[in-house]
Amino acid sequence: MELLIQQLFNGLTIGSVYSLVALGLTLVYGILHIPNFAHGALYMVGAYVTLTMMVQGGFHYLLAIVISILVVGLISVLMERVVFHPLRDSTPIQHKVAAIGVLLFLEALAHYIWGADYQQMPTPYGQVVKVFDLTFTMQRILIVVTAIVVMILLYLFLKKTYTGATIIAMSQNREGAYLVGINANKVAMLTFFIAGALAAIGASLTSPINLVFPSMGHLVILKAFVIIIIGGMGSVPGAILGGYILGFSESLGATYLFSDYKDLIAFVLLVIILTVKPQGIFAKGGV
Amino acid sequence: MLELKNVYVKYGQFTAIQNVNIQVDAGEIVVLLGANGAGKSTTFRAISGLSKPVSGEIQLEDQAIGGKSPDQIVKTGIVQCAEDRKLFTQMTVQENLMMGAYVHRKKKNEMKKRFQEVYDMFPILYEKRKDTAGSLSGGQQQMLAIGRALMSKPKIMLLDEPSIGLAPMIVEQMFETIKQINREGTTILLAEQNANAALSIASKGYVFENGKIVVEGTSEELFSNEEVRRAYIGA
Repeated sequence: MELLIQQLFNGLTIGSVYSLVALGLTLVYGILHIPNFAHGALYMVGAYVTLTMMVQGGFHYLLAIVISILVVGLISVLMERVVFHPLRDSTPIQHKVAAIGVLLFLEALAHYIWGADYQQMPTPYGQVVKVFDLTFTMQRILIVVTAIVVMILLYLFLKKTYTGATIIAMSQNREGAYLVGINANKVAMLTFFIAGALAAIGASLTSPINLVFPSMGHLVILKAFVIIIIGGMGSVPGAILGGYILGFSESLGATYLFSDYKDLIAFVLLVIILTVKPQGIFAKGGV
Repeated sequence: MLELKNVYVKYGQFTAIQNVNIQVDAGEIVVLLGANGAGKSTTFRAISGLSKPVSGEIQLEDQAIGGKSPDQIVKTGIVQCAEDRKLFTQMTVQENLMMGAYVHRKKKNEMKKRFQEVYDMFPILYEKRKDTAGSLSGGQQQMLAIGRALMSKPKIMLLDEPSIGLAPMIVEQMFETIKQINREGTTILLAEQNANAALSIASKGYVFENGKIVVEGTSEELFSNEEVRRAYIGA
């Protein structure tokens, strides 16, 4: 029983990070229909910026995350302006090639700046908390709480503010949004900023319990794609739900089924869910 | 008020419209007639900025708007109700209308007034204001599309086949509504296949065939034109 609860909590932790990363991916896909493979590289850069700010800059962990959010958000906007915007009238395959190009570029850049070594991110929240007979680290609690707060804020922004509504409008009907006068460039830049910020938060939260290295985004982005396919491409609730489904499946699967093949679970899940519900759990575009 | 001069639009190698010349004066209802694929919707796309003309000029009140982006064009006072309505189907009726007032989003009072006007014109939209756009019937969706367009307080409204797919009784109402919108001061450019009904409310019309305007004239002239009668009015 304790093991089960412990594993459920682990699932919640991993799922929170997956959801944050998948949300950015699904928002970008929703408005521009670009499967942004470079999103995983933003995640990786997010971890490095936080690490550098802490170790070299001497900033507090939380302040370092804020800096990372801004830096990665801006890199993400820059990517939209320099790479995707000029390609707006070209074919989907060109978007994919460009996205992979950005991914390779950012990884090479990370190699150049930070080297190929695995690095450990320190955290001021390493304390262990005991609740009944269960032990949690503060870091894991921080991950869950922060992720949920961020998701609630994002939901309120999309649902309750006019600016947020323009993102939803554009994801539901792109030309409809143009015809009411919504500035497509503004919405695209805003969405890329949010996506970058979410990737930075996800990476910065999870790095103290994982490791930081140039290709750390690979598996995460693959899984994020699985999540948004499961949840429905472009769907916000789909990304959140999909993230947690995957998080729980992985932690429970690793404990009770086969720990060596934990990373396979995402793809098995993908095959099963797509067989039953080929469009994903949610139709595209909802909040 | 709105003028198109020698406008050409291409989709890749395919020339969708060529040498299109249209003039719409303030306060008029002008109709574009023609079969599916004749070029009416492409003409609308060019005016709204969804498709860029490869050559030619588009002017609104002597201001060149050809080649501007759609959001800039909406700001000048042109709004389009597209044939497929392009609603935000998972948003509520009220949210759709709110997005329609995007250009006035910072003017609270203006927004309120616009909502009042649209709900007065379409009471059913007020009743259904909390329902999602996708759950409405075809006629109600068309009303919502027109309502959303009115929210921007346009000088000129482009209506692309507002009667398509609607029951005959609703079509009649739709044309009444269009007349009412026009009476209240909005100039209207209407694309229709229902030539009879369209010409009865329009002051003049243009007939499209294969991307070109082949006949133009006042409604009376088009009504009495043998070819137009045979091809589009069916009598």
